[in-house]
Amino acid sequence: MVTTPEARTRADALAADTTPEARTRADALAANAAASADATPARTAARRGGHPAPSSPPTGRPRRARKIGERDRPLWMLAPGGILMVVVILVPLVLGLVISLMDLDQYTLRQWISAPFIGITNYVEALTKSTLIQSIGISVGYAVLVTLICLPIGVAAALATQNRFRGRGLVRSLFLVPYVLPTFVVGTVWRTMLQPDGVGNAMLKNFGIDGGLWLNGPQSYWALVFVQIWASWPFIYLLVLSGLQSVDSEVHEASALDGAGWWTKLRYVILPYLKGPITLALIISFLHSVNNFTLPFVLFGIPAPADVNVLPVLTYITGFQNFRFGLSAAMAVISLILIAIPLFIYLRAVKLDTGEDGGSRVRK
Amino acid sequence: MVPVSASNTIAPVRVTPHRASAKEGARQAQIHRLLPKPLLIVILAALLVFSMVPVLYIFFASINSDLAVARGAFWPTELTFENYSKIWTTVDLGTGLVNSVLVAGGVAIVCAGLSVSTAYVLVRYAFRGRLLVLRGLLALQSIPGTLLLLPVFVLFSSAASTLGVQIIGTRWGLFLTYLTFALPFSTWVMVTYLRGLPRELEEAARLDGASPFKILTRISVPLSWPGIVVSGIFAFLLGWNDVLFASVMTRPESRTVAVSLQIFGATQEGGAVPVYGQMMAAALVCAVPVVVLYLIFQRYLVGGLTAGGVK
Repeated sequence: MVTTPEARTRADALAADTTPEARTRADALAANAAASADATPARTAARRGGHPAPSSPPTGRPRRARKIGERDRPLWMLAPGGILMVVVILVPLVLGLVISLMDLDQYTLRQWISAPFIGITNYVEALTKSTLIQSIGISVGYAVLVTLICLPIGVAAALATQNRFRGRGLVRSLFLVPYVLPTFVVGTVWRTMLQPDGVGNAMLKNFGIDGGLWLNGPQSYWALVFVQIWASWPFIYLLVLSGLQSVDSEVHEASALDGAGWWTKLRYVILPYLKGPITLALIISFLHSVNNFTLPFVLFGIPAPADVNVLPVLTYITGFQNFRFGLSAAMAVISLILIAIPLFIYLRAVKLDTGEDGGSRVRK
Repeated sequence: MVPVSASNTIAPVRVTPHRASAKEGARQAQIHRLLPKPLLIVILAALLVFSMVPVLYIFFASINSDLAVARGAFWPTELTFENYSKIWTTVDLGTGLVNSVLVAGGVAIVCAGLSVSTAYVLVRYAFRGRLLVLRGLLALQSIPGTLLLLPVFVLFSSAASTLGVQIIGTRWGLFLTYLTFALPFSTWVMVTYLRGLPRELEEAARLDGASPFKILTRISVPLSWPGIVVSGIFAFLLGWNDVLFASVMTRPESRTVAVSLQIFGATQEGGAVPVYGQMMAAALVCAVPVVVLYLIFQRYLVGGLTAGGVK
């Protein structure tokens, strides 16, 4: 029964016109829209279950038409997904907060509701007696490092594949392969390659370098950084590439007319266009690295070496290896606070609405 | 009778070169060039080596002997496809594959259906809290899995004691979890897709008295197959790639292939002779469905990747 927004807009526009004949035309239009939309009130009411079909007087004022339009929104279609998200995401989110205030271990897990409530003791323990602070440092440091190194690689790759050349399609596809491979496959493969006698060290030996241990000890940190860069730079490449498409042809013409060299053009003409996509890519890449559990878990196994005991792995070990569920939940909540800032910037950056949407038209 | 929307009528005023000659084409290419040719070649070569050598290694190692791989050989010393027949008995990869296909495939189908109907309402109708829902979709994508793992586990365990439904250890637990976690992103992909669809057909159907549900199933869904396929594939990938939830919520018989491979890998060191050749073969088998899906739907998937920005 929703009247078409266009018809409504036209009716509204005409109604603003005060001449009598314009008024009549407006009423006729709105009535037309309302009447045609009202053709199946009974069937729709039956489907909506319980909500009786409102008697619709054939007034057909524009205001009336809008009201009719708002009555038949099939909001029930939001229910299945909405219920799932509430039960499996929102309820656990709250539950996680509650558990973080409890002394929950493997013995009290079965009757978790009656587990002792200990206030913020878990948080105090997480911050003072556990390796949480170190883990936060490792996680943030590694995520920032990965993101900053991925940036020039991604930008260079995007610039290199923007112009047409023979085989460009193939190159673009190949660039994305590391990103497309499942993370558990990436982890398994690099775990094999980085063994003390593995192919990684064999190759380094060709250059006269003794690789040493990559999956244990201090070098494990650099192994994690390297593998994460290998697997995630194509994402920045993708976003920059789509940003490059938005640079108009005229921009190239103009800079050619000005006789700009390639570096000048890149630095002062092209890069300013890429500010938006690059900012977005940096934020998402950071979030992605900070939240990545699978790669360190598969690459190093459990227990992880101290140098790569990143936040997700620490939370996992505390919960499912040491069975300190309450403490683990407290760590998870702290990690959520940690990512809240970049997440907030991300949410602000993404354009939620476009003028084409139904919502923005009806809302005044 | 439906007025054409403004974006269709205002054509970009741009003088496009009519049937540009080869010379003109070359001039255009020159103007649009971003990097000098030598630099371009260096970048392309370096990045291709960087990203493709490990990928080639997976294949080479998978047709190499376990011993040669353990010694660090890159090129296969002996060509053997034995690894591919041995892995099925060395590790229970078959069960894992079946579980992964069932769970991830089921998630893909149900998620595609749910996301298209949810996105349709979000794009085409106004209601209180609509922007909140859109913002929520984006926020929910970024919640770390480690935060939800424990509460979801507790919730599902309580279902066994209070409702008498055993969820933990079954494929259903994974199905429900992945389905829910895939929904926000898939819905977001569909929201961006449906926004691009013309409204005219829907409005014509509405004038003919079609109900919203009918308009969705008869008009919007047939028009948006590419978007539906993409949101389904992303849901599939989420289920296929997850290790976190599967490592906690499965038993040996309901293990997904991701966990099978992870355990296979974690138990190699300490054994007599690590079977790395077989492990690479298994890794390749796990990667193939994903890479094939990507190659087939590449054009659509790349758009989806940049739309929401989550792997």
